[in-house]
Amino acid sequence: MTAEAQQMIEHITRTLRKPGLEIHENTALVSSGLIDSMALVGLLLKLEDLTHMRIPPGKVQPKDMDTVALMFATVQRVGKPRK
Amino acid sequence: MGAISTEHSGASPTETSEGSPLASSPRTLIEALNSAPGDRPFVTAWIDEDERESVTFAEFRCRSRVHAALLHNNRVAPGDRVVIIMPQGIPAMTTFVGAMMLGAIPALIAYPNFKVEPSKYRTGLAGVTANLKAKVFVIDEEFPDNMLEQVSLGEAILVRAWEGRSVNHDAELPSPVVQPDTLAFIQHSAGTTGLQKGVALTHAAVLRQLDHLVQVLKINADKDRVYSWLPLYHDMGLIACFMLPMVCHLPVVMQSPLDWVMHPETMLQILTEYQCTLAWLPNFTFQFVPRRTPRSRLSKYDLSSARALINCSEPVRASSMDEFYDTFAPFGLKRGALQSSYAMAENVFAVTQSDVTRPSGPARLWADSQRFRGEHCIVVVAEGTAGAVPFVSSGRLLPNHEVRIVSDSGEILAPGLVGEIRIRSDSLFAGYYNRPDLTAKAIVDGWYHTGDLGFYLNGELYIVGRKKDLLIVGGENIYPQDIEEIVTNHPSIHDGRAVAMGVYNPDLGTEDIVVVAEVESEELLQNATGIEQELRSQVAAGSGVAVRMIFLKPPKWIVKSTAGKPARSSTRQKLLREHPELNVEF
Repeated sequence: MTAEAQQMIEHITRTLRKPGLEIHENTALVSSGLIDSMALVGLLLKLEDLTHMRIPPGKVQPKDMDTVALMFATVQRVGKPRK
Repeated sequence: MGAISTEHSGASPTETSEGSPLASSPRTLIEALNSAPGDRPFVTAWIDEDERESVTFAEFRCRSRVHAALLHNNRVAPGDRVVIIMPQGIPAMTTFVGAMMLGAIPALIAYPNFKVEPSKYRTGLAGVTANLKAKVFVIDEEFPDNMLEQVSLGEAILVRAWEGRSVNHDAELPSPVVQPDTLAFIQHSAGTTGLQKGVALTHAAVLRQLDHLVQVLKINADKDRVYSWLPLYHDMGLIACFMLPMVCHLPVVMQSPLDWVMHPETMLQILTEYQCTLAWLPNFTFQFVPRRTPRSRLSKYDLSSARALINCSEPVRASSMDEFYDTFAPFGLKRGALQSSYAMAENVFAVTQSDVTRPSGPARLWADSQRFRGEHCIVVVAEGTAGAVPFVSSGRLLPNHEVRIVSDSGEILAPGLVGEIRIRSDSLFAGYYNRPDLTAKAIVDGWYHTGDLGFYLNGELYIVGRKKDLLIVGGENIYPQDIEEIVTNHPSIHDGRAVAMGVYNPDLGTEDIVVVAEVESEELLQNATGIEQELRSQVAAGSGVAVRMIFLKPPKWIVKSTAGKPARSSTRQKLLREHPELNVEF
């Protein structure tokens, strides 16, 4: 796991504030109901900060953000350098 | 306090002014579309900075005829129901209009999101099929096959929208004689329960509503441009952001709700780039956008073109409106551009609208909290009075609209008293399609029982909350029964002992879904975390929504009614008493 993925996991754990909940790279976040669509924007902004990339609207769906591994794969797929 | 008989009416209708988009008095929605200048821009579907698709009115009509031809080839005739399950975009809109061109009755159904379990989605679809007895279902290329497997569509035909590409659209189409009082379309709420209640609307009712909106919003076809991220199956998206622009010949720039919710800042981009003047937005948007847009990027935006950003479909909160104004006033936003409305599908759309010419925006008042909570009575106090409850008006009644505020015992209440809102108007729906039982409960003696609580004062309607069981999350209606059914199917939960409720989250500006459920036996509470995670996952898969908090309680915790069913209101009060951290305003 990359350092950025680890930082994202720590960010999500802090945001969720659910004692006893362990999050891994492949933990389902959206489909499991842990995160709703309104919380995804916070994760996208964090992802952009961690990767120094821009994720264009229209190119990413909630399913692309379901796990931390998918998030970083999405950046690889659709990310653009920041202007 | 004694009640006196009081009803309130909107202004008398005025002649539609010359030059108004509705001056030609179209008899049907298609007639209105056909009278639009062909070269005028109509829909722009905004995907991102580098990708968008635009059509003029002529192009839109042409594409709609292609879909009409496709439906005609599948033997769709006047009066047939056409269910459309397509993602937000121009093809969904042209399919909808194509059906209306044939005199058929389209119904747009929410597109499945990836969280929803196919079996649950299929159950909802089967319900729609049974109720509408649809002639065809139209789906798009991306529609997941497993969502339709084993669904009995009855005698309906499955039509794939892309088949329209090979249709000869130059072929002569029938020209059905559509009367103003025939049904134009059917609108559903989301969720399994909502799908049983299709709001049936006639051409005449929709056109009368739009005529009222033109008057109160002072629509100018040469100057106005609509922005929307709203789903087309919702009344705000369908009526305000699709039918209104179509009939009044206004350009509309729209994006998908999912794209917007993941990139709320795009709303600012679009408003700035296209200089949009009108938008309808649920209350939470007014907090969500300022809080989710990095401050460093705000200066790129210019909101000076906006003349009415209308807060609608959730109770209007002063704090949300103020947060939006305070954030964007330095970037051209005028205070008077923040407006409000009270609307519902059963009335086509709006019942009230705030005065768009008032520079300070909708009226506000502060009420004595004890009198409000204890006696359901509004006693106006000075702004800033300790503990005072703020209310923002949803505006004045539209022309030809009447409202009554009614107590639990059926008394019509005087101004300033809180009760159920009942309405009567010339835009009221024809009934729930094929459900005379539900229609008879909803419309009594011509008055629609909204199930919303509010009060009327100084010519303005204020919405307080809801009497009926309905959760509104991000402007979307969610039926608690859909969630409770999933929860009580869990083997650790006592059958029928779960209550789902909406609890206002001041950080989000909308409601959170909170569930309280009884476990079968007290020892199961030792595994509360595991059960909670399973429930959360099952609700997401079954309904597509995320539950914010789940409270598992020992047997016999939930308050029961005399009929032995969970008493929602009392259970809610008990939960809020035990969990002050839920921090509910009222």
